[in-house]
Amino acid sequence: MLGGVLGNVYNATKSLIKGHLVTLKELRTPKITVHYPDERLELPLGSRGMPALKVNQDTGLLNCTACGVCARECPVDAIEVEAVVGEKGRKKRYPAIYNLDMTHCMQCNLCVEACPFDALEMSDAFEISRYDLDDLIFDKEQLAEIWKTHKAVRITGGEKL
Amino acid sequence: MPEWVMAIIKILIVLAFIGLNGMFLIWAERKVAGFIQARIGPARVGRPQGFFQLFADAIKMFSKEDVRPAAADKWVWWFAPVVFFTPVAMAFLVLPFGPNVIGLDMNIGLIYLAAVASFALLGVFMAGWGSNNKYSLLGAMRAGAQMISYEIPLILATIGVIMITGTLSTQGIVEYQVAHGWNIKTQFLAFVVFFIAMLAELNRTPFDLVIAESELTSGFFTEYSGIRWGMFMFAEYTNIFVMSALAVTLFFGGWASPFGLVGSVLIFLIKTYAIVFLIIWIRWSVPRVRIDQLMTLGWKFLLPLSLFNIVFTGLILLI
Amino acid sequence: MSEIEARRLKAEEVGHEKLILNLGPQHPSTHGVLRVITTLEGERITEAEPDIGFLHRNFEKIVEGWTWSQVIPLTDRNDYLANINNEHAYVLAVEKLAGIEVPERAEYIRVIMSELNRIASHLLTFGTFAMDMGAFTPFLYGFRERELLYDIFEKVTGARMMHNYVRLSGVRNDLPDGWDKEVLEFLDRLENDVIPDYYDLLIKNPIFEARSLGVGVLTKEDAIAYGAAGPILRGSGIDWDLRRDMPYSIYDRFDFEVITREEGDHYARFMVRMDEMIESAKIIRQAFEQMPEGPVMGKVPRVLKPEGDIYSAVEGPRGEIGVYLVGDGNFKPYRVKWRAPSFSNLSILPLMAKGQFVADIVLTIGTLDPIFGEVDR
Repeated sequence: MLGGVLGNVYNATKSLIKGHLVTLKELRTPKITVHYPDERLELPLGSRGMPALKVNQDTGLLNCTACGVCARECPVDAIEVEAVVGEKGRKKRYPAIYNLDMTHCMQCNLCVEACPFDALEMSDAFEISRYDLDDLIFDKEQLAEIWKTHKAVRITGGEKL
Repeated sequence: MPEWVMAIIKILIVLAFIGLNGMFLIWAERKVAGFIQARIGPARVGRPQGFFQLFADAIKMFSKEDVRPAAADKWVWWFAPVVFFTPVAMAFLVLPFGPNVIGLDMNIGLIYLAAVASFALLGVFMAGWGSNNKYSLLGAMRAGAQMISYEIPLILATIGVIMITGTLSTQGIVEYQVAHGWNIKTQFLAFVVFFIAMLAELNRTPFDLVIAESELTSGFFTEYSGIRWGMFMFAEYTNIFVMSALAVTLFFGGWASPFGLVGSVLIFLIKTYAIVFLIIWIRWSVPRVRIDQLMTLGWKFLLPLSLFNIVFTGLILLI
Repeated sequence: MSEIEARRLKAEEVGHEKLILNLGPQHPSTHGVLRVITTLEGERITEAEPDIGFLHRNFEKIVEGWTWSQVIPLTDRNDYLANINNEHAYVLAVEKLAGIEVPERAEYIRVIMSELNRIASHLLTFGTFAMDMGAFTPFLYGFRERELLYDIFEKVTGARMMHNYVRLSGVRNDLPDGWDKEVLEFLDRLENDVIPDYYDLLIKNPIFEARSLGVGVLTKEDAIAYGAAGPILRGSGIDWDLRRDMPYSIYDRFDFEVITREEGDHYARFMVRMDEMIESAKIIRQAFEQMPEGPVMGKVPRVLKPEGDIYSAVEGPRGEIGVYLVGDGNFKPYRVKWRAPSFSNLSILPLMAKGQFVADIVLTIGTLDPIFGEVDR
């Protein structure tokens, strides 16, 4: 019986020491902490931040035609689009209002997939905290600005990154 | 200089040391924990190693609101941190920091320490009962069971040392070791028992059932905030220092230096902080035991072992 | 009778000999927002009554107002540790109902992502169980490995957690170049470095064994009677895994073992999860070898108006994720019923908690591993 107890004590001590060696080893391994505002991680291509409105490089105008498919496809109703109404009540093909409510948006990419005119892209802008809730509703100029200043990738389904 | 001025100066030195040591240990624990867990711990205040974090923490603790639960037993709740803190500070009286650096070289130093240390339980009980919180109550009850059953092997483990050195004076024990070598050589078993019981006495993982944050949120001091909570923390970390210092005194030659150097306060502190590091290291490596396993370990394993050690030491002394 | 009155009556009934302890909903070890009303006698639990619903989001009703494809991002939020598995469950059901073909390559990608997600989920379960036991370091190691895995996810799906990656008739985008190498490297590291470290640090630790061996035993009969699923079922010795027994997608093409343990205690359930990670790695390796080239999206009919009803289930990390769909020939689902494995697993808690120590009920919750996004839906 004494032998059994001693064996148990020996085994327990051995495995305890092994466990402590693991933590001792980790004392010296490189740390994975990144001091966020000072250091930044590289975001991979296609990392989804908030959606942004694509600007035509040649003309400098938005690609958006205010068709409203994105607004219909959005599960959380974060997008509000209104087309410009010209003379005689006919709609022209660019948005008068394009508001994206980032308090609702869950960055799911469905609007981008729905867009038939190559006008929406997911940018990697994730630092969108504001002091005021109203500031989180982005209008079309702000969305275009985000597209200009951030990396953006458009994935509509099935292609390679 | 009149004697009472000296006494006050000594007390102030001890209190300052408690404060600095407490802050340093909290910082060290966070740092070691961070490094063990593949992160870097506090790093913002006082770069690069976040050393001033401890001052920030202390200021935060002092300036926070002192919230008292409406249903708490006011005076019991109020005094609990004081009762918990005082005996820890009193223990500094007999710790031999250096050849002549000791508060009072009593000839019953160890008995004094044991008497004072058992006082802390009262503070835990007062906190647990006075908070009128079920988690606190459970924590305090666990503390009662745990501290009483681990005090016995703790004290029995020191008896072996006392038998060999033939003195109860802490300074005397160190002086014996200066002459005859460290006690750890003959009292290894006693050290093992002492160390395990010490962890339980300090409520450190794997015996931190009293605090047990995954079950009892924060145990007996769940309801405390601000400086009262800070006093519990300081008392706890100071207690770690005191117990480590005691272990060094009993088993590792106190201020005696290993390589024939002159014994000094520095050597004593180095040894003590080495034991403190060991305690911190253990905390971040093992899970927590359950209350019945704790009792089994204490009564069925440590107690017989310490008794065996006494018999064994006696036999060696006879031969 | 109001709830308060009921509580008061219960307190009177319990009397002064026992203690009613409210664990949660704000408690460090309830894995979210579970509230357990326990009756204690000393440190022993005589009765435990789980109270759920703090995270109720009305999933099943909300999606009745959405189109079939709009539901997919919300399924991510059910079991937020097994997002791909949830998407897979839902998408499979819709595909069966509407008769949509899926390209071969997309099936392989789905399997790879599902199994990676299973590994991620089990890594976290490893960590939380350790933390319930008071060991904080394994918790962070588990998290670290999971974060590295999420980096790998992000490269494909663009998101770390809420992927919204699986689509009707395929997946959102193809794998980037060199991604498979990264996954295989991760798996090698997991098997050769990480899991052995876990064994040394936690699993072989005598305290861990003392705390988990023979504690919280769930018998075979109870496991079946309570509708347990996943590792909890297999930890009780029942050899049942939907991936093998009701093969969906292309799981019948892979060679893997279903891990079972006879003991039914905490240790068995824990070890089932540990071993399942290795089996998942096996499946991923085979999938990479067999994976053909080709498109990853098939054709979805422009007008998606399926009719009829269907039940389809996948094996998630916590067990059978079942989806019951009713379509009435509209572009929205008429009814979506979600069978959450955590929910049925959690229902065993009162049975298992009876007679345990307070410290052990925490472990019991940890080993049942309920996710409250899924329990409360």
